[in-house]
Amino acid sequence: MPLSQDALWYKDAIIYQVHVRTFYDTNGDGIGDFRGLAQKLDYLQELGVNAVWLMPFFPSPLRDDGYDIADYNSVHPSYGSLDDFKTFLQAAHERGIRVIVEMVLNHTSDQHPWFQESRSSRENPRRDWYVWSDTDTKYQGVRIIFVDTELSNWARDPVSKSYYWHRFFSHQPDLNYDDPAVREEMWKVMKFWLDLGVDGFRLDAVPYLVEREGTSCENLPETHAVLKEFRAKLDREYPGKMLLAEANQWPADLRAYFGEGDEFHMAFHFPLMPRMFMGLKLEDRKPITEILKQTPQIPPSCQWTLFLRNHDELTLEMVTDMERDYMYDQYARDKGMRINLGIRRRLAPLLDNDRRRIELMNGMLMSLPGTPIIYYGDEIGMGDNIYLGDRNGVRTPMQWEGGWNGGFSTADPESLYSPLMLNPVYGYQAVNVQSQKRFDHSLLSWMKRLLKVRKSTPVFGRGSIEFLYPANHRILAYVRQLEKESILVVNNLSNSAQAVELDLRPFKGNILIEMFGRNIFPRVGDLPYLLTMGPYQFYWFRLRRI
Amino acid sequence: MAEESILTDEFLRQLINVGEADILVGVPTYNNAATVGQVVQTIRAGLLKYFPRERAVIINPDGGSRDQTPDLVRGASINDLEATSDLQALRTLHSISAEYPGGASTGAALRTILAAADLLRVSACAVVSPESTTLEPEWIERLLRPVYQGNFDFVTPLYRRHKFDGLLMRNLVYPMTRAFYGKRVREPYASEFAFSGPLGSHFLAQEIWVHEVGRSGTEIALTISAITGGFRLAQTFLGVKPHLDARSADLVAAMRQTVGALFWSLEPNFSLWSSSHDSQPVPTLGTAPEVTLEPLRVNRKRLYEMFRSGVAELEPVLKSILPPPTLSELQRIAALGEADFCYGDELWARTVYEFAASYHKAVISRDHIVQALAPLYRGRAFTFLVENREASGEEVEQNIENFCLTCERLKPSLVELWNGKK
Repeated sequence: MPLSQDALWYKDAIIYQVHVRTFYDTNGDGIGDFRGLAQKLDYLQELGVNAVWLMPFFPSPLRDDGYDIADYNSVHPSYGSLDDFKTFLQAAHERGIRVIVEMVLNHTSDQHPWFQESRSSRENPRRDWYVWSDTDTKYQGVRIIFVDTELSNWARDPVSKSYYWHRFFSHQPDLNYDDPAVREEMWKVMKFWLDLGVDGFRLDAVPYLVEREGTSCENLPETHAVLKEFRAKLDREYPGKMLLAEANQWPADLRAYFGEGDEFHMAFHFPLMPRMFMGLKLEDRKPITEILKQTPQIPPSCQWTLFLRNHDELTLEMVTDMERDYMYDQYARDKGMRINLGIRRRLAPLLDNDRRRIELMNGMLMSLPGTPIIYYGDEIGMGDNIYLGDRNGVRTPMQWEGGWNGGFSTADPESLYSPLMLNPVYGYQAVNVQSQKRFDHSLLSWMKRLLKVRKSTPVFGRGSIEFLYPANHRILAYVRQLEKESILVVNNLSNSAQAVELDLRPFKGNILIEMFGRNIFPRVGDLPYLLTMGPYQFYWFRLRRI
Repeated sequence: MAEESILTDEFLRQLINVGEADILVGVPTYNNAATVGQVVQTIRAGLLKYFPRERAVIINPDGGSRDQTPDLVRGASINDLEATSDLQALRTLHSISAEYPGGASTGAALRTILAAADLLRVSACAVVSPESTTLEPEWIERLLRPVYQGNFDFVTPLYRRHKFDGLLMRNLVYPMTRAFYGKRVREPYASEFAFSGPLGSHFLAQEIWVHEVGRSGTEIALTISAITGGFRLAQTFLGVKPHLDARSADLVAAMRQTVGALFWSLEPNFSLWSSSHDSQPVPTLGTAPEVTLEPLRVNRKRLYEMFRSGVAELEPVLKSILPPPTLSELQRIAALGEADFCYGDELWARTVYEFAASYHKAVISRDHIVQALAPLYRGRAFTFLVENREASGEEVEQNIENFCLTCERLKPSLVELWNGKK
């Protein structure tokens, strides 16, 4: 299956997020590798995804799961070689699957040679590649992101005898983007991977690139200027490639990352995700519609990316204090489930392993405006292990079958990079790909159908959205439209059956065709359109005038 | 033939949209545009502050207002269609209004609220008067929390009142309800109260709705139902009860709603009230607020004169209601000058019991019996005002307590009258 030549391919993408380490181990060392990932591409193709987002796989001391990069132009030896990566990339493209590589721009590992040089002396040519100060008093008031572990954004370097700036862990010094040499070097890094054929980058932690006194040091115009510079080069030299922003910000602040279509192609809609969970628990569409109403229009070439869960905590930074308290009480009553300002749990346990709620949330993910991302393992309902440190509880090995190590590796179980999920509900013997492949009604089989229906029309990826506001607040209903094609989506956020009257007068005369079963529903007339919906049920209707 | 529903189709449609709820606040109205806006906004503030996570709804059964009452109620809604950026609200709040059939009636309004509470399966329901201009958000919590937490089924208010406010309550409704049913519910006929889902459903299923008490005085019937049904009662301190001149002026209507309903309740509950001889306190929640009450002017002389003229003009009626000794005693005190006039505790208690027995026997039209009590009550009120003119708030309370004990002591005489032994 050839790759689409459409420059807006990312709008039609369904992205699968995976860390190579977690997926499949071919050399028996207990760590997933690129050869393993390549072997499992058929699985991903069968699932129906058409893009893979690879989390950092570069050489690293792995003190932050690879987000502490020590060499940007190579592959961590545990995951294979650069040739293995190339082989994987080619195989993915042959299956119509694009590859998005994660690039950590903001900081490096303190083990990176650049930092080693920078700290070695004040006269070193790379001294200014990082943000140094003789005091820890600059940029006072800038928030600390990892509040559970860091007390300051400054750390004293015993070698250099001065302070360096770090917005994340203290072993991750921030690069200094005021230095043109840094910008040039990072572009070289991106070129290196683009030349190999990757299809885009997920750029990590982009709001923090530049610091200025008296500001929050986030979302600064200077940061946007750096990003626009990268984008201009990308468009000029690598047309059709894509940049995806990780900026955990409010919608109004996120808007700037699209520029006038000259900065990022896509950005995560962080504030929407917790509100989907909130709306579900409240049985009320209000949190979802409100945040989407606050979401500004973006340039036509741009796109939001939507997700339910990822490798990080379910972030609660972009909610009010009252909402955060509610989320904690409802989804993380056990304090071990909390980290920083978020909840470190996977989708299935968050939803009490309730198949109906898992389906509804995935249904919304696939039908709201944006490009959806599926976190590896969520398509089979994998669980989490909150007793592992940091966010490692949601990064356990993929569960392929019920046998040795869940089919992930032939190594001794004790030598795996992470313990497997073992409990009777979520353990690999209960939840695995092999068993779910055998049944049409498994979550995996259902997800395949969902993705197939989603891909059957470009409306979901490219269409407009107009909310209906039925008086029943438990019903989230909207019409997606692209040119002459219209799709009505109706979601029941409630645990009980609901009746809802929809004002479909603009579509009078249309008949409704349910997209999963392709059954015909009554024609839209003058009266409100009455639907009855089961608990957590959702409908996708194609509106057709015949 | 199917019984006609209290719920109109339009109201039912709105209830479908509300769906299952945890908390319901009912605001019965009839042309209350002057005050209802402020009241529902305060209710909303109380719900947002004290029950932000609960599924709450404000329901307004309206008796056919011709002013802006329903619109003002609907204005308290919180939804995702209209911007409410100044509000921190987790969820949608429906504030709905619907006209019930049959014209304005407090009973029909309460029945509508009960039906809505039952259909929405609420755990706790409060009713708030649209004229409660002194309502504070805290009242909503004080009324609902004890019920919502599952500790009580019926919560009645304790207000701070001027010592001369609520004369009918202090001299008749409270003491008699307490004597009849053995529970010291200080405001058995309240304009603010809260009840549990089970109590609401229990009351809704009763056969009162075809009777007059189902249209008027239904609130006191609910109190009695809570007592006789063995539901868990509590009283909670709210705040200052606004004094409503208009209401107090229509004494006969108030008598029908309270005394009429109280007398009516004795019939089906005879076995319960006739077997109890004392009273038990009801748990009291919270503490009395420290507030300064505005002075209250009462026209004592008018009460005195209306008593005298009532005893004279209603003599034929009173003859058929009261035994001769009581009537003679009333005629004796009616002849006294204002300075010497006294309608004492014992005589007043005996009078009321004899009226209750006559109501039971229906010696004349029951409504006439209730009406005939009005001028006598005025005489009693006059005495209460005179006796407590210099009394402190505590002394007034003690005097009320003494009267209650008198009522309890004399209650066997009512049983005898009831059984026809006298």
